[in-house]
Amino acid sequence: MKFRCERDTLAEAIGTAQRAVSARSGALPVLSGIQVTASDDHIELVGCDLDLTIRVQVPAQVDTDGQAVVPAKLFDGLTTRLKAGTVTFEVEGDDARISSGSAKAGVRLLPADEFPRVGEPSGSAVTVDAAPFAEALRQVIPGASRDDARPILTGVLLTATADGVRLVATDSYRLAVRDLAGVGMLSEGQRVLVGARGLNEVQRVFSSGKIDVTFGEREVRFASETRTVTARLIEGEFPNYEQLIPSGYPNRLTVSRATLEEAVRLMQIVGEGREGTPVRLAMSADGLELSANAQERADATEAIDAKFEGTDVTVAFNPQFLLDGLLSVEGDEVVLETLDPLKPATLKGTDHPEFLYLLMPVRIS
Amino acid sequence: MRDAPSVLHLDLDAFFASVEQLADPALRGRPVVVGGLGNRGVVAAASYEARRFGIHSAMPMARARRACPDAVFVSPRFDAYSDASKQVMAVLRDVTPLVEPISLDEAFLDVAGAARSLGTGPEIGEVLRKRIHAETGLTASVGAATTKLLAKLASDLAKPDGMLVVEPGTELDFLHPLPVTRLWGVGPATRKRLDRFGVVSVGDLAKLPEATLVRELGASAGAHLHALAWNRDDRGVEPDRVTKSIGHEETFARDRTDLAGLERDALRMADAVASRLRGASKTARTVQIKIRYGDFRTITRSRTLATPTDLAIEIGETARDLLRALDLGEGIRLLGVSVQQLEEGVGVQGRLAFDDGSLATTFEASDDRRALEDAVDTVRERFGTDAVGTAAFLDRGRLLPGRRASLWGPDDPDSSDHDADRTSHDKEAR
Repeated sequence: MKFRCERDTLAEAIGTAQRAVSARSGALPVLSGIQVTASDDHIELVGCDLDLTIRVQVPAQVDTDGQAVVPAKLFDGLTTRLKAGTVTFEVEGDDARISSGSAKAGVRLLPADEFPRVGEPSGSAVTVDAAPFAEALRQVIPGASRDDARPILTGVLLTATADGVRLVATDSYRLAVRDLAGVGMLSEGQRVLVGARGLNEVQRVFSSGKIDVTFGEREVRFASETRTVTARLIEGEFPNYEQLIPSGYPNRLTVSRATLEEAVRLMQIVGEGREGTPVRLAMSADGLELSANAQERADATEAIDAKFEGTDVTVAFNPQFLLDGLLSVEGDEVVLETLDPLKPATLKGTDHPEFLYLLMPVRIS
Repeated sequence: MRDAPSVLHLDLDAFFASVEQLADPALRGRPVVVGGLGNRGVVAAASYEARRFGIHSAMPMARARRACPDAVFVSPRFDAYSDASKQVMAVLRDVTPLVEPISLDEAFLDVAGAARSLGTGPEIGEVLRKRIHAETGLTASVGAATTKLLAKLASDLAKPDGMLVVEPGTELDFLHPLPVTRLWGVGPATRKRLDRFGVVSVGDLAKLPEATLVRELGASAGAHLHALAWNRDDRGVEPDRVTKSIGHEETFARDRTDLAGLERDALRMADAVASRLRGASKTARTVQIKIRYGDFRTITRSRTLATPTDLAIEIGETARDLLRALDLGEGIRLLGVSVQQLEEGVGVQGRLAFDDGSLATTFEASDDRRALEDAVDTVRERFGTDAVGTAAFLDRGRLLPGRRASLWGPDDPDSSDHDADRTSHDKEAR
């Protein structure tokens, strides 16, 4: 096997495929590699950790067809540090020789025949615009759990709505719900749960153009002409989240998103290294006062202009959870609605009813 | 190194049994055995009269019964022991605030500062022994030395009702002839390893190169034992050490493999632990479960939570997840749930309550859950632990409350009631 490829093209492709490469220790050793297949006028790079597969195709001058599995970290590190220009990749025995200009490197290959063949969904694809889908994913993914102990919560629920699709994620502390109109990727009544980690790659890889979406029994594939992300579906029943969203709120705070974000970041510094230090939001007709107090360490307060309707109330939140919400909502102005210090609050962008971020407060003793 | 024997270790003699004998004059002078009275009960304490028959703590109760059928067997009464312990600790704190309680019946004292006004370590030790006997009727043994290690070893050797002083300069003469098993941390497994090097006494151990110990026992255990063998023990007496964990564990009457039932037990124990956390106004970051197999192999598994909690639901679900991930093998005889990384004055992150079959099912949201748990605490405070509980913990129509009976085995030897098959114990580790 031998091919030549532009360094920048190759490095970018490796970087993308590598994002699916298992970081888990104890995984099948071959999964720490990137599978490279050379044929015709291109090469295909595949990274895979059994839950997630990323394929990237880039143009190359192929002298000899073939397939090899290259340790991902080495492949990435060497390629990005080679001289710019044409990189030559050639398999000799058990090694890959990678060279550019006068720089040459050898890498021991992983056993190519052990690289898994991951199932691909069959069935017809639906074509959707990538940009709005990616944006919707960006909004809900932070709400998903990263705790593998509860696999269902590590997924994003995609559910069919009358005019499109709804995306839902929750880690049981907060809940993100995004309605995406005009994107008919699901059939009526269809609900699927896809790992948030895989969808995060979808959101990174496909930021523009069109993507073909194919749902199978066990996988979903998102594909453009040169890139494919395949994620395994998560089995199980997503929690019944609808009942958690209050129908109305007595207290409504309207505030500049950027100002609130800056203030929360300040409060977050106070609690750094001291888990559980909340940011308190005291809301009244005078506006909003934020405070944080990490006992015997640091404290901070900041008053910011805000419009408040309702009864004076102080609610405390995990600053990171609040920030995640502020970074997800759209628009310059946000609305924070509260019931009382212990009930879930919601955050929305003014004039952006399509996205809702619900978060549980922190109870302070 | 101190230049005077100013570290005292005070240990009450046959504490539980002595309390029983004081409470009931009919028991005085008779062999008294305190512990779980069921088939799988374990001896918690034996009076000196009973010890003459070879009965000692941690012995299976069935064997104790065979050894001395005429002994008086009683089940433990923690409230009485706790009261007696408080009286004793108050006497100790009268002498110095530097009192480090190790358990109900032992404590370390640092009397270096008290020496000028109250006398030397040995003098203070005698005063304490006399006062404790005069004020509580209990006898105590005291070890006085320059390190905690030696003070503890000395009080063991002074028993019963005695005092032993290890004079400065004679430490190694005292320590090296002792059997190596006297050292903290030398259990059966370590002993087996040391056997291969012909180590019998502490002196033998001291002669082994540290590198050998490290290779055999690992870096930390090896270095630690080597230091102890040379009486290098710089641990100070630490008064009011903060509670590091709160836990609850139960020994079952028979080895169990019923995962569903064990999960229910874990949830119930979590409920008890959470209740005590809230009682102490603390939150916890880490949840641990402990199981002991039928062959006494004991393992623990823990998980650290994303945010601190004092909620039964959070502790219970984590304990349940940990339990599900374990192989119950031939069956387990003990299950425990505990929390660690305790903190005070931090907030508790609320949880959204899904209708997903979790513990939260019956509650609208975790703040309601919290309100409910607070209410449960109040009811329990007024009417006792088994006055109220979660329906999931109902067993044969009876509430299984969180705290009952003892660690040392089921109480009622003849009972076939499943309810009596379990014994439980609250733990607070420091």
